[in-house]
Amino acid sequence: MGLNISANKVLASIPYLFEGVGITLEITILALLLGTLLGLVLAIIRVYGSGAFRQFAVIYSRLVRSLPLLVILFMLYFLGSEIIDIPAFWAIILALAIHSAAYQSEIFRGAIQSISKGQMEAALALGMSKYQGIFYVILPQALRRAIPYWANEATIVLKDSSLAYALGVTELMRRGEYVSARTSQPLITYIVVGLIYLLLTYVFTKSMARVESKVKIPGLER
Amino acid sequence: MAKPILRVENIHKKFKGTEVLKGLSLTVYEGEVVVIIGPSGTGKSTLLRCINRLTEPDSGDVYLEEQKIEPGKSNFSYIRQQIGMVFQDFNLFNHLTALQNVAIGPIKVKKMDKKKAYDLAMKELARVGLAEKAANYPAELSGGQKQRVAIARALAMDPKIMLFDEPTSALDPELIGEVLEVMKDLANAGMTMVVVSHEMGFAREAADRIVFLENGVVAEMGSPEKIFNNPEKERTREFISKITRLNSVAKGREVL
Repeated sequence: MGLNISANKVLASIPYLFEGVGITLEITILALLLGTLLGLVLAIIRVYGSGAFRQFAVIYSRLVRSLPLLVILFMLYFLGSEIIDIPAFWAIILALAIHSAAYQSEIFRGAIQSISKGQMEAALALGMSKYQGIFYVILPQALRRAIPYWANEATIVLKDSSLAYALGVTELMRRGEYVSARTSQPLITYIVVGLIYLLLTYVFTKSMARVESKVKIPGLER
Repeated sequence: MAKPILRVENIHKKFKGTEVLKGLSLTVYEGEVVVIIGPSGTGKSTLLRCINRLTEPDSGDVYLEEQKIEPGKSNFSYIRQQIGMVFQDFNLFNHLTALQNVAIGPIKVKKMDKKKAYDLAMKELARVGLAEKAANYPAELSGGQKQRVAIARALAMDPKIMLFDEPTSALDPELIGEVLEVMKDLANAGMTMVVVSHEMGFAREAADRIVFLENGVVAEMGSPEKIFNNPEKERTREFISKITRLNSVAKGREVL
């Protein structure tokens, strides 16, 4: 009976939790936008760049992938408080972007390298520059191949955005914490929060699968 | 005397310490069809790739008409546009339809108006007999059709010379004929062609000159009659008879 009343209190908080979803999505989308852009540039440099640029891309990926996301987040945030002020909202976006870019650079690098060498040679033989070859021939094929792996990485970013709670950003996870404290029902609260993440991930994964089949090259196995 | 279109001068190329091309020189004249034959590993493909610089030679020069081909020079891309290349494994752009494959060069490289480029692409596809496949993607075409689209793609750039790197070696035997037909039509239309191929029937019918490459240099060259019937060197004779026998076996004919 008592549980029932508390559960109702949690359920009554669902609209409040959903407002947090908006912030979670903002963080995720902005982090993905930045992370994808940076990851793609790093991957292109890694495959086609030379000397110091390529070396930088390799080191970036190794270094960032060996740091816990929470460490990157705190470094950014406290770097913020000491030098320039980075608001918590932007600290989490930047941390996620920096972190995800390293993983995405590996995803895109693999996809680019899976395109046969002959594709670039044919582009060059037509008189295209290397950049034209990359943008008109290699990337359109490589990005299609990268979609399922990128989608997986994107769901990781979505879930990792919950770390923002540590900085007090009132996204979904932080709001869950408030509701849990108010209702004294942490278990039910976090089950509800978990279900919301599940719902978001499900919708996203489904739509990416649709995108994937929509841009599939006719006749090609993959 | 016809005017020289392509001049290869004293090309050297090493791969991992092994010298593949050892000071090779060759001049190709306007409208000429040169077929290059030779044992595997003698640098036939490397020679073609050194011409349009998909492979960078260690030393030596290549001239298209009077222009020296030099990567990094401002006219490099312009010179490359004028050298059509057809690859062994087609290398059609997999994400583009047959029509788009043919049109992309004129659109992106020559900055041709799209409508004009697609009209041109349609014309080139018709020329290789594939107008009705314009909307198909490479993965929906047979090997022979892919190679014909690849030829159309090169032709759309209006090249001065066409290089063919074993254009039929990746094809099933029954598909070779359609590609060779297109190449013969092209030769008859006066296109200057350098063809690496072991299709002796094609060499006999379409070649003006056969070049026998061995150990990284031109071992012997001459008209098909001379090379097939009266070669100067014993090695040439051996090679020709071996390849002719293999060709016949492949076609299922009984020899000897």
